[in-house]
Amino acid sequence: MEKDLSKAKVLVCDDSMMVRNKMKKLLTAYGFTQIFEANDGAQAVEKFADIVPDVTFMDIVMPELSGVEALKLIKTNSPDAVVIMATSVGTVGNLSEAIKLGANDFLQKPVDEEQLYKLLDNYFKKEA
Amino acid sequence: MFTQFFGSFLLNRKIVSPANLRVALEKKDTTRVKLGVLAINAGYMTAKQVDTVHKKQATVDKRIGDIAVDMGYLTEAQVEELLSSQKTGCLLLGQALVDMGCLTNEEFETVLNDYKKENGLTDKDFSNENNEKTESVISSFFAIEGEYKDYCSEYVNVLFKNLIRFVGDDFTPLQSAVTDSNDTAVIQELCGDFNAVSAITADNKAAAVFASRFAEEEITDMDYAKDAISEFLNLSNGLYNVNISETTGKEIGLNPQETTTSSAVSGIKSKFTLTIPVEYTFGTVVFTLAVI
Repeated sequence: MEKDLSKAKVLVCDDSMMVRNKMKKLLTAYGFTQIFEANDGAQAVEKFADIVPDVTFMDIVMPELSGVEALKLIKTNSPDAVVIMATSVGTVGNLSEAIKLGANDFLQKPVDEEQLYKLLDNYFKKEA
Repeated sequence: MFTQFFGSFLLNRKIVSPANLRVALEKKDTTRVKLGVLAINAGYMTAKQVDTVHKKQATVDKRIGDIAVDMGYLTEAQVEELLSSQKTGCLLLGQALVDMGCLTNEEFETVLNDYKKENGLTDKDFSNENNEKTESVISSFFAIEGEYKDYCSEYVNVLFKNLIRFVGDDFTPLQSAVTDSNDTAVIQELCGDFNAVSAITADNKAAAVFASRFAEEEITDMDYAKDAISEFLNLSNGLYNVNISETTGKEIGLNPQETTTSSAVSGIKSKFTLTIPVEYTFGTVVFTLAVI
């Protein structure tokens, strides 16, 4: 699945403003122009339904609903959604639960530019 | 992290003042470790021999290594070996203090040997830190004993590695610090096979620098600083949980972080509280792990 980057919508779900800002900077530099944010799990589910993003970055430890619970709700309604778990809590338990629920990929925090871009290259085609 | 504990050792023995240690920690990254310090560390030369060679160098136009060989203190092979050896943090810190005139070569020789002896450390440990040795240094420094010893010393081990990696290595662990007057405080609960409350407290000035370094951007807004510090706590706790899960198969969950007050942190009712103050060159930051 390769999508046109300039038309793509990305949703960043993280309760830390610092992380959201960092992600926005990296995603803008990659070429995204439509970046949306959610600061807890419940907002992530709501925003997902409103925006229908092409890719969603999901933190795990968040208030209201955890990232894993939000993933479950999103995947129930939109099984084809691309959701990438971005977390420092990559324990076997968390990872296997997220995989079971349909998470598409994992990103280790703190997010590294090279690792992020390599992952995005699998989903998006950049204009030459 | 033996460098950081070497700093604590120098402070506790009152060999250097906190102010001089701070300057040496700032200088160590641009310090060049000289042959004399390397030879003392390797046990190839005594401090007295190093001083003799230095005195001789003032009268002849020769390199220190060549003079030491001429005087029969070192072989050429030893000089080669020393010059290509790893310049570990302890040596950089020691050399910075010698250069500043805070330590003589002889004092450096004595404290380095005492530090190694007290902690059962070898040169190999300095250049290749393994978990077993670091955790033993940690538990003895913070007097961690009893049922939660492994969980707590591993917590400090992961925390210090993350501090070095994400904030900076210019800190010294302290055994005690006043925590009640700190105006920035964040907590996060760990729950599951091991239940604890973790916290970071600092005064606003230190908190702002800590947050700026971690976020890699200049932060002056204190709400944003607390957000960044909360994220550091979550990151460090997350990596701790991954370690525990990999080594013991036990899963620890994390609740979302919250901002609080430092008096609320000191008031946490716990079975065992580990207070981990660290003195950075920009101020004191206190980490707490309260086992509940």
